[in-house]
Amino acid sequence: MSTAIRIKDLAFAYGERNVLGGVSLAIEKGEMIGILGPNGSGKTTLLKILSAVLRCAGLVELNGKDLRSYGRRELSRLFAVVPQESQINFPFTLAEIVLMGRASHHSPLGLEGPRDLEAARRSLEATETSLLADRYLHELSGGEKQRVMIARALAQEAEILLLDEPAAFLDLKHQVRAFELMRRLNRERGLTIVAALHDLNLAALFFPRLAMLSGGKVYRDGPAREVLSEENILEVYGVEVRVEMDASRERPQVFLRT
Amino acid sequence: MNVLDRRKMIRVNGILFLLLILSVIGCSLVGPVAVNLWRALENLFSPDANAEILFRARLPRVLLGVAIGGGMAACGVVLQALLRNPLACPQMLGVSGGASLGGILGLIFFPNWLLPVAGGLLGEISWVPLAAFLGALLSMVLVYRFSLFHGRLHPYHLLLSGVIFNSFIAALIMFLNSIVDFYQAQGLLFWLMGSLSTRAYLTVAFIWAYVVLGFLWLWAKGLPLNLITLGEETAMQLGVETGALQRQVFVASSLMIGAMVSISGMIGFVGLMIPHVMRLIVGSDHRLLLPASFLAGGIFLSWADTLARVLLAPAELPVGIVTAFFGGPFFLLLLYREGRKKLAL
Amino acid sequence: MTFGLLLCLLLGFAGRLVHAGEATRQKIVSLAPSVTETLFALGLGDRLVGETTYCDYPAEAKKLPKIGDFMNPSLEAVLAKKPDLILGVTGATDPVKAREMERLGLKVVLVSVANLNDILASTRIIGALLGSDKAGENLAAKITAQVEEVKKKVSPAPRRSVLLVVGFQPLIAVGGRNFIDELITLAGGDNIAGSAAQPWLNLPDEIVVAKAPEVIIEAGMGSERESGKRWGDLKSVPAVRERRIYSYPSDKILRPGPRFGEALAEIARLIHPECFANPASLSNERSRCERPGP
Repeated sequence: MSTAIRIKDLAFAYGERNVLGGVSLAIEKGEMIGILGPNGSGKTTLLKILSAVLRCAGLVELNGKDLRSYGRRELSRLFAVVPQESQINFPFTLAEIVLMGRASHHSPLGLEGPRDLEAARRSLEATETSLLADRYLHELSGGEKQRVMIARALAQEAEILLLDEPAAFLDLKHQVRAFELMRRLNRERGLTIVAALHDLNLAALFFPRLAMLSGGKVYRDGPAREVLSEENILEVYGVEVRVEMDASRERPQVFLRT
Repeated sequence: MNVLDRRKMIRVNGILFLLLILSVIGCSLVGPVAVNLWRALENLFSPDANAEILFRARLPRVLLGVAIGGGMAACGVVLQALLRNPLACPQMLGVSGGASLGGILGLIFFPNWLLPVAGGLLGEISWVPLAAFLGALLSMVLVYRFSLFHGRLHPYHLLLSGVIFNSFIAALIMFLNSIVDFYQAQGLLFWLMGSLSTRAYLTVAFIWAYVVLGFLWLWAKGLPLNLITLGEETAMQLGVETGALQRQVFVASSLMIGAMVSISGMIGFVGLMIPHVMRLIVGSDHRLLLPASFLAGGIFLSWADTLARVLLAPAELPVGIVTAFFGGPFFLLLLYREGRKKLAL
Repeated sequence: MTFGLLLCLLLGFAGRLVHAGEATRQKIVSLAPSVTETLFALGLGDRLVGETTYCDYPAEAKKLPKIGDFMNPSLEAVLAKKPDLILGVTGATDPVKAREMERLGLKVVLVSVANLNDILASTRIIGALLGSDKAGENLAAKITAQVEEVKKKVSPAPRRSVLLVVGFQPLIAVGGRNFIDELITLAGGDNIAGSAAQPWLNLPDEIVVAKAPEVIIEAGMGSERESGKRWGDLKSVPAVRERRIYSYPSDKILRPGPRFGEALAEIARLIHPECFANPASLSNERSRCERPGP
């Protein structure tokens, strides 16, 4: 398996505030990795750096080449990003928004072609939003909006999917569906998936590898049962918990102590 | 899935283009004075009142109205996307303020200066619009510098700089108005309120070339403009070089607005209203919204100018008053009927 | 440009009159250039203690202390002069300010100068207010005589349609219902924008072509050299074809005051030059001051 993303000594500060310092991580093609950490630990920042929205100090390589050497259009064919929230002030329909994911696949001077429409249609089906296609974004609930964002990312047909807390606004059923979708995409299409997650249990159930951020560095990196220990969680999240293996004896689940 | 396709593009733009041609013809034939078209055509090259009214007094200004209406509407669309603000309009950038100030200074200090074009062969133009355009350029550079951070023109900074700049300029203009000869002050006020009055085909051709080229360039940016309304980061992640796009769009629209205001004063409301009206009718996809707004803006302003000539004949109303007075209620009506569905009202 | 003067005519309130009686050595403040001129013409210029910044005739008037412009006289400056009488003009003088001054105990009189009759009346009124009834009457008579002389000179000739321009970019013309419109009529002209209700208006080019003025007068504009250029392409207009486009730089004379007759004569000279020329020097038929024969 080749290295899709290699991060070495990445550092980033918002003005005076150091968010990340000395982060090193290697992600293989076709891996599914969850990024954990409390608020402010730099999860979102890391994803923004990976998608070239922010510039950092240190080395980030994509498929062996420095990230900075890629053009944006090229990058958008490699990365698809599902943001945490989006503010859209203009009346676009869902179909239009999902189709915007196809921007880097056709000429900027032209309209979308049949391939683009097909990709959009399939993404809407995969996220169960087909029926909402001609509705306007502001008519939807938070959860439906998020599924549309996922659909748009899928329509991009990129190799790597970056998700920033994709389940944040979803109800239980759709949370599970979203993660099952990600797992299916990972297995069937070999998509590399990097997701920032706040729900430790869902992370443990769906993501074979977890990286926990703390103090601007990668505190722990490995399979869920190693990373999600009571000591680690106390250290990083400052909460006392109880960790037990699930019925299959393979994946840890976290229980709060009250 | 109801999305933009070639058929819709052709249909919508085709209808609007046809309406535009009809408007040019209609507005040339309509006015406070009755004109005999056949006599005018017969006497194209001899001194005849009909021919002169139609081809020297009316047609140039109708054509100017089409260019300026279209240009203002297109800039309005683009600025609303760039600033991600539905209330954005051409006045907001500060360019129109600079152009107004330049024009005012020209009218005060050298209203009668003329500049020969092509060594006098193509006639002469007044120095006033040139001064106005210089003012526009200067203010564009200033607002740009104030809003540029790390190579990016953040909408927040652009909006603020533009608004503050405009307020400052407005105060300056009021000050100038108060210290000049009272008689001059009245003339300045008329100029500021905007007028499409022109007989110079040279001017009209120049503005047309300018506006059409500018519009075509902006139209080519239709897709990136769609993407940038999703947010700057999202646009970047979808492949748009947002920094470059913002800078280029800002400069292109500023130049267009500067040229338009220099020639005809500040004609407001078109740049704010037409984009919204067309968005309610054809959708938000800029690849269609831009040409549709351009054509609709031209139609709207040429009829507004016709009304301006007719309503209080023989006097001519400032066209900016007509656009607001008639455009406003129409827009409210449209908003009430369509907007509830489309704008989360 | 002559806007301010035209402003005199906007509102057309009736003038408020105060009976004469308080005559001798009054200190007067003038709130309008025409009033200043009238006072000097009546020989009462020495009583003036304050005037507007626009009061520039006669030469002596220029040296007098100013109390603001006629739209915005400074209340304090006026008070400081401790005037016995404040003279203004209806339509130009701000009625709110006038009432303020009255409330402060000052005597304010506004006269109307909306048309020739009112102008003549105003000289009589002002004269009477200051105990110089005779001078007022004489001044009115003098103006009347000047007007009559001009009327006589132009009466043989047919009326000529006139466009009187007071501004460009955009084109501003003198409209109807004001003393300049009347002046044009008295001068044997027919103001093409005279049907308008506004005293001045923005005129679209098509109206100029349609009304085909025979004379175009550009008041207060640049030099003679530039005046022809603006109209060159409208050859169907008689004034353009026959080169009867005149610049009238001394537009300051166009005030509803004592120089009305002078201004009338100058304008009439532009509209009917043939009626003022020496008859011996004329040769061709076109330039004779008479109606064309059958």
